[in-house]
Amino acid sequence: MKRRQVRMAVRFVVAALVTVLFLFPIYWLAIISFKTPDEIFAYPPVWWPEQIQFANYAVLFKDGDAVTVWNSLVIASISTVFAMVIGTMCAYSIARFRTGGNLFSDWLLSNRMIPPIVIVFPVFLLFVELGLVDSFVGLILLYTAFNLPYVVWMMRGYIQDIPLELEESALVDGCTRWQVFVRVVWPMARGGLFATAVFTFVFAWNEFIFALVLTRSEVTTFPVQVTHYFGGQSNFWAKIAAMSVLGTVPIFIAVTLLQRFLVRGISLGAVKG
Amino acid sequence: MTDRGAMRGFSDGRRTGAAGARATPFVDRNFKYLMIFPAVAVILFIGLFPVIHTLMISVQNLTMLDEDTSFHGLVHYGRLLSDGRFWEAIGHTLIFVVVALPTELVLGLALAYLFLDRLPGKQVFVALLVLPVVVSPVIAGATWRLLFDQRYGPINQVIGWFAGEDVTILWTVDPAFVYPAILIAEIWQWTPFMFLLLLAALSNVDQSQLEAAEIDGASFWRTFFKVVLPAIWPVMAIAVLIRALDLFRLFDVVWALTRGGPGTLTETFSIYAYVQGFQQFETSYTAAMSLVVIILLAITVTLVLRRMEIDR
Amino acid sequence: MRRREFLYTASAFAGASALGLPRVARAQAAQTAVEAAKQFAGTEISIVWEAGLQALDPLNFSGPLWQEATGIRVNVIEVPTAEMFTKILQEHRAGTGAYDALNVIPAWMPDLVRAGALEPLDEYVDKYGYRQELQTIAPVYRDNQMMFDGKIYSFPDDGDVFILYYRTDILGDPEIQAAFREQHGYDLPVPPTTWKEFDEVGAFISAYTGNKPYGAAFFRDPPYGQFMFQERFRNEGGRFFDPETMKATINSAAGVKVFNDWLAENEWMPPGVQTWGFVENLAAFLQGDTAMTISWPPYGRWAAGYGTDEEALSWVPRSQIAGKVGYAMPPGGHPQLAAGFALSLSASSRKKEAAYLFMQWLNSEEISLKRVQLPTALRDPFRDSHFVSEEYMSRWPEAPQYLAALHEGAVKGLLDLSIIQTDRYEEALRQGISRLWAGEDPQAILDDVAAQWDQITERIGVDQQRAAYEAWASNAAAYPS
Repeated sequence: MKRRQVRMAVRFVVAALVTVLFLFPIYWLAIISFKTPDEIFAYPPVWWPEQIQFANYAVLFKDGDAVTVWNSLVIASISTVFAMVIGTMCAYSIARFRTGGNLFSDWLLSNRMIPPIVIVFPVFLLFVELGLVDSFVGLILLYTAFNLPYVVWMMRGYIQDIPLELEESALVDGCTRWQVFVRVVWPMARGGLFATAVFTFVFAWNEFIFALVLTRSEVTTFPVQVTHYFGGQSNFWAKIAAMSVLGTVPIFIAVTLLQRFLVRGISLGAVKG
Repeated sequence: MTDRGAMRGFSDGRRTGAAGARATPFVDRNFKYLMIFPAVAVILFIGLFPVIHTLMISVQNLTMLDEDTSFHGLVHYGRLLSDGRFWEAIGHTLIFVVVALPTELVLGLALAYLFLDRLPGKQVFVALLVLPVVVSPVIAGATWRLLFDQRYGPINQVIGWFAGEDVTILWTVDPAFVYPAILIAEIWQWTPFMFLLLLAALSNVDQSQLEAAEIDGASFWRTFFKVVLPAIWPVMAIAVLIRALDLFRLFDVVWALTRGGPGTLTETFSIYAYVQGFQQFETSYTAAMSLVVIILLAITVTLVLRRMEIDR
Repeated sequence: MRRREFLYTASAFAGASALGLPRVARAQAAQTAVEAAKQFAGTEISIVWEAGLQALDPLNFSGPLWQEATGIRVNVIEVPTAEMFTKILQEHRAGTGAYDALNVIPAWMPDLVRAGALEPLDEYVDKYGYRQELQTIAPVYRDNQMMFDGKIYSFPDDGDVFILYYRTDILGDPEIQAAFREQHGYDLPVPPTTWKEFDEVGAFISAYTGNKPYGAAFFRDPPYGQFMFQERFRNEGGRFFDPETMKATINSAAGVKVFNDWLAENEWMPPGVQTWGFVENLAAFLQGDTAMTISWPPYGRWAAGYGTDEEALSWVPRSQIAGKVGYAMPPGGHPQLAAGFALSLSASSRKKEAAYLFMQWLNSEEISLKRVQLPTALRDPFRDSHFVSEEYMSRWPEAPQYLAALHEGAVKGLLDLSIIQTDRYEEALRQGISRLWAGEDPQAILDDVAAQWDQITERIGVDQQRAAYEAWASNAAAYPS
């Protein structure tokens, strides 16, 4: 008994240490955003500012840089909704009718594997033709497309778990196929929709390369904004830190609230949550 | 497993019962195709069309100042073969894959074991540990640049405590340290990902088998290889595949930390393609490069998938 | 007839003011721009500006002032230096009209013009009577950073020049001077005028004071180091190309000497100097940790403590050395006119008229004098009148010497290399510098850089590039004379 308790105590201590170690970078980023310039450029580095102050955030709102978080929110939310709706439709068709066979679903998934850098160049040229550079529509369309394979893959798994009898009896009751999908399947897949949507959202929220190339002024997203503070006369650590925190806090909150969906979403459904 | 749920009669599209009378015949008859249509249209638009476009561009000769759209044959592909910087970039990318992936896997597994049994505050620990995964990679890179700063960062400071004197390690400049710096950032961000998946997988291992092994007096390692590993393999394979593909496209962290430097020492494929395409405006050349990588990648992934026989 | 009369009177007035009434003329370009711009009240124009301190000018000063005067809102798009060229050219390709006015580094201007990204300004200049005031921009900027192929494409807007800043109290310290004389057999030069002297003085100070302070520190981070290389290489007698064959000659003895000297200097400079950019170098100098450095003009202002109590500059360490700073030409005598900025109009802008007027207003005698005195921003004197401004000279006790040094720099300065696709050559050089810090052999690196330069030249076309290089090298300010 005694030994077991010691073991657990040791594990607890190790676990706590590991957690501290992994959270330290996030702590450092956050604490810099509250430091005064003198403290940021202090040598040796200061681990805790004398006084927590919000000037680094205030300047982001004053200069309008904070709007990039809003841009990210708009783009990530709308593209997530689109991807979820048309992706789930497609998943339903594949799950229930085996549309296109294995080849089709393999092809869908393979789109997810293309490195963004390979696709971003032609997409840039395409968007130039269509006048979609630096527009909400452009990025939303792009993120929708990029998330679709993932949504289809995930939702197919969830839909297969839904008992078929419900849909059959709805058909017998005189529903159309579409009504079956909307009234029966969609509500039944709610858990899966959440799990999938979290990651779709996280991807769109954090994406960098596409946004770097395809935005100018109107729809700059927050990761691109952060890189704007590099270089020039210096790296503006105060702004980098504050902007990063502004953009990261929402996602931390979302992920913490939806914690229980995380594992299945993150594993492409390999682990049933 | 693909057939699960697709039951007889349901999938033939005819058994619509009483509904047939009221539903629009066209919609119901073509229902399964109409359902996939929007998704396919979007993916074709963003995925396939650009690839074809790329193919066309790659045999022209577009540069920053030259909009020459005449046919140039395969010159850019030829140039690629002799472009040392391109192959070096592929090599750097592979180094990141080969070092980061096993490290993340082993660390993730060790962490998963640490948290496997009952532990006070386990939920809180796991919730906190997962946070690095959802930080935007470019932000993660920026964060590590702060940490690695030779003067104002805490890492040299802490090393200095142990060394007993001030140390000035140039993490983003010194060739001996740039790879460790990038790898540390990368491993920090993605070990929790492995951990999370493997923890879930380990929790699902059949307890009775483990107990049986224990009764037999099998060592930890024997149990691990004979019982645990086969059980968690499907999840692990997926995790490895996802991470390998992510690592292959490594861009953000390197961009934020070294921009591929010093020289081109840490230049990954993605960074090189960005430089060629968007800084030097070698439009056609970048297109050729992109296609070659798509093809190389497709072949590799297909082969790997075959070998791993992931349950799809 | 009446109309004709009016025009005659107007032109006579303009002529008179040009000849005898410079004050009135000065006020005019800014005022004309404001009056003409009022018709666009309510619109918004976007201007690309270097991210960071540079952008504080339009964000905190000129943008709000312009909006108040004309009702046009200025949207400042901050872009990191390394991405400015890329973004501008990408935008030109995309043609979304997202950028109206641009900050352009003059060395890129020819490339951007060739790509069609910049709008010629002559028509606007005439329409809004700006030719006169353009002529009063300091000659080196006016003659080299404004025109391409006989047309005006940009307004030089920033007199960037590398000046040597040195601590008069340390170099003038009798004790140090005596010890120096004893060791080296000649009087400590205040300031050093050759690189040999500089290195001997610097190393001596580091050793003598036990690195309190270090003898000197420099920009070593490749994006900045690149300019330092261009300056020193040419002061050592280096030439970028063989004008006959267009073969790169950057790997000549002069180039290798610069690299080797750099490595030797690092030994007595602060540890980690290889990564130093603008801020690191600044902090060390202002805090009194280094006795000499070479940098852009803002160092001089901030070292004097001018305006550093402004909130926007709160990140600049408080100057410990006010009143102890001397200004001089860097060793060799020919400073780099490093980077600099000029204002250009984006060819894809849909609000060209309003954007142009903003540029003219910014660049005018009246407004530019205010802008180069902003303590927070980084625009430096670039008009003849700036160097002799009474107002500016009264800003701090040594300001007259400071302005005189900037003026001398503008006369003796060396232009950044500017040929076709200059950035690709500079990129190869930047990578070479980062390889130097990574410990590779100077000769091998420079041979490799030269090979890359040759490759770039071949891809562009040797004849074409030779013509561009000849045109550039024919400037008096291309190489020390």
